[in-house]
Amino acid sequence: MAAVTATAGWLLRLRVAGIRGQWRRLHGAGQARAFLRPASAGGDAVQRRQVAHFTFQPDPETHEYGQTQKMNLFQAVTSALDNSLARDPTAVVFGEDVAFGGVFRCTVGLRDKYGKDRVFNTPLCEQGIVGFGIGIAVTGATAIAEIQFADYIFPAFDQIVNEAAKYRYRSGDLFNCGSLTIRSPWGCVGHGALYHSQSPEAFFAHCPGIKVVVPRSPFQAKGLLLSCIEDKNPCIFFEPKILYRAAVEQVPVEPYKIPLSQAEVIQEGSDVTLVAWGTQVHVIREVAAMAQEKLGVSCEVIDLRTIIPWDVDTVCKEECFLNLEAPISRVCGYDTPFPHIFEPFYIPDKWKCYDALRKMINY
Amino acid sequence: MMQTVRRMELKADQLYKQKIIRGFCHLCDGQEACCVGLEAGINPTDHLITSYRAHGFTFTRGMPVREILAELTGRKGGCAKGKGGSMHMYAKNFYGGNGIVGAQVPLGAGVALACKYNGKDEVCLTLYGDGAANQGQIFEAYNMAALWKLPCIFICENNRYGMGTSVERAAASTDYYKRGDFIPGLRVDGMDILCVREATKFAADHCRSGKGPILMELQTYRYHGHSMSDPGVSYRTREEIQEVRSKSDPIMLLKDRMVNNNLASVEELKEIDVEVRKEIEDAAQFATADPEPPLEELGYHIYSSDPPFEVRGANQWIKFKSIS
Repeated sequence: MAAVTATAGWLLRLRVAGIRGQWRRLHGAGQARAFLRPASAGGDAVQRRQVAHFTFQPDPETHEYGQTQKMNLFQAVTSALDNSLARDPTAVVFGEDVAFGGVFRCTVGLRDKYGKDRVFNTPLCEQGIVGFGIGIAVTGATAIAEIQFADYIFPAFDQIVNEAAKYRYRSGDLFNCGSLTIRSPWGCVGHGALYHSQSPEAFFAHCPGIKVVVPRSPFQAKGLLLSCIEDKNPCIFFEPKILYRAAVEQVPVEPYKIPLSQAEVIQEGSDVTLVAWGTQVHVIREVAAMAQEKLGVSCEVIDLRTIIPWDVDTVCKEECFLNLEAPISRVCGYDTPFPHIFEPFYIPDKWKCYDALRKMINY
Repeated sequence: MMQTVRRMELKADQLYKQKIIRGFCHLCDGQEACCVGLEAGINPTDHLITSYRAHGFTFTRGMPVREILAELTGRKGGCAKGKGGSMHMYAKNFYGGNGIVGAQVPLGAGVALACKYNGKDEVCLTLYGDGAANQGQIFEAYNMAALWKLPCIFICENNRYGMGTSVERAAASTDYYKRGDFIPGLRVDGMDILCVREATKFAADHCRSGKGPILMELQTYRYHGHSMSDPGVSYRTREEIQEVRSKSDPIMLLKDRMVNNNLASVEELKEIDVEVRKEIEDAAQFATADPEPPLEELGYHIYSSDPPFEVRGANQWIKFKSIS
C-alpha cells in the first residue's frame, strides 16, 4: 500500500505512495471537473475520446541481456512464455481462451509452436483451473495458469490460499507446488467497471507461502515473469491490462530474470518517498516531476514490484523511517466497489497524489 | 414484446458504436424467444435471476425501455441510478444482471428457498449460459435444490458459444439438460416462443406442486458477438449466423405462424413494428439527454447505515458521504 512518512533532522523526508494502476479519463485540460459537463452541452453531445491519466515512461534500453526488440507488454509476456516453453519441456500454459492467443493476445503463436498438449484451453472454471494447476505443479511439471481477469480470481481464492500457499508447509517440505505461476490481467482500464478493473493483490498480501508480483513495463514484465516461473514457490503475476498496448519498450529477446522481493529505486530523492506498483508507478513519476518543478521538493520514486514478500529494507531505510516528519499517507481508490460511471473520480490520479504530497509537505 | 427487445438491443448496439454507451454491453438479439417466452410462462410474482446478458429480461420483468437505455448510458434515470450499467440491471422480482459467470446460480437457489419458505407458491427461474454450465458452483446449487426440493427452475441458455468457445470444445457433455443428473431435465427449442412458453408452464407446475427443482436447456442463438468488442465472426461463420437468421429467427417464426393461422394480418404486425420503433427512439432520446448521476452519489449505498458515514477517498483528505 502507499505510505507517507516524514523524517526529522536535516533531511526532510516524507513518504507518499500511490496504490493501484488505474486509468483516468480526461477531457481536454485533464481536469476531473471537466468530465461532468451535461451531455447536451453545445453541439458536442457525444463524449469525446478520453486520454489516460498517466503517461507511460519507458526505461532506457539495456544491452545487458543481448539483442533487444521493440515489444509492448503483452508481447513481452508472450516472449517470456515462449522462452519458458522452449527451455522447460515440462512447462504447460493453460487457461480460458489461451489457445487462440488469449483475450489480450498474451499467448499468440504458442500453441502452433509447442502443440496442443502444452498450450490448451480450460473450461470456464477458475477454481478448477487453479486446483488443476496445483496438481500439475505438485508432480514437478511447470504449470502456468491464466485467470482471464483478476476480478475472477475469487473462486480460486480458496485453492490459492488454502492449498497452494500451504502445501510445502503442511507436508514438511515433502511436497510443494512451487512450479505453479498464475498470471492475470489486473487493474483499471478506463471502462472496466466493477468486474474488469479490480486490483486484488491486497487480498493475497496477507498469505504467507505465495508471492505476488506486479510489473510496471514490458522489460520488467518479462524479467519478473521468468523469475516467477522459475521461482520455487507458487507465484501470482498480475499484468496491468491498460499497459498491454500502451507500454512499449526495447525488451531483450533472450530470457533474463529480475529478482523477486527487490524493490527498485527509479529516481533518487531526499525529501519525500513515493512508493507504487504497476501502472501507478508512471503516475507518481509525473507527480515527482511536478513536485520538483512546482514545490522544489525532491522525491524518491520506488517501484515495489513484489507485493509479498516485499522489500522492507529499500522502502523503509531504518534511520529515515524512524525519523519521519509527517504520517504516512496512502493514496488509493475510494472505499467503494470499483464504479462504472464514476471511474474518473475514483482513481488516484496525479492530481490527487500531488495534493496529498503538498499536504504532507505542509504538515 | 419480442420486437421491442430486438429493437432495443439494436439501438443499444447503435448507441455503443456512437460511444454514448461505454463499458460493457452484452446483447441478446436472437434470444428474444427465451426472455419473452419465459415471462409468458410464469407470473409477475415469480422470481428470475440471470447473467450479464440481461437487457431482454429486464424489459420482460417490467422495466421500461427508457430506464434500461438510460442505465446503459449511465444516467440517473437508469434503473440502477446509473451506477450499475449494462450488467447490473434490476427490477421487481428480477435479481439482475450478474457479472461473474455462474455466481448467480446459487443465488437463484437461495431465492427458491425463500419462495418455498414463504409458502406463496412462487418459483425462481435461475438462468445461466452454456459457458457457466461448467462452473463448480452450479453443481453445488443443483445438489442443494434437489436435496431440499426447492422450487427452482434451472435454465441453461445454450447459445452454442461461451464467448468464443463452442460448446463441443468446452464441455465433456453438451447435453446441458442432463447435467442435473438427479434433477429432471427438458430440452427446449429456444427459438420458438410458444415452445418456450409451454415448457416453462410445465416446469413451473412441476415446481409448484412440490416436486423439487427441474432443469431446462433452451437451445438458442445470439446474432451479435459475446459483447460489443466481439465481432462474433472469428469463431463462427457468417453463413451460420445467416442461416439461423433466415430459418430460425424467433420473431420471424412467430410472425409466420400468426399470419398463416390468420391470427393477425401483415399490416397489423407492421403497425406494431412502427410503434415499437417510435418507443425505442423516444427512449434513446431520453437516455442520451438525461444527466449523469451527481458526484455525491459515488459513496452512496455501500452499506445500509442509520447515520450517514464517511467514505475514504483517494487520499485521507478526500471524503465522501455514504447515505442509504
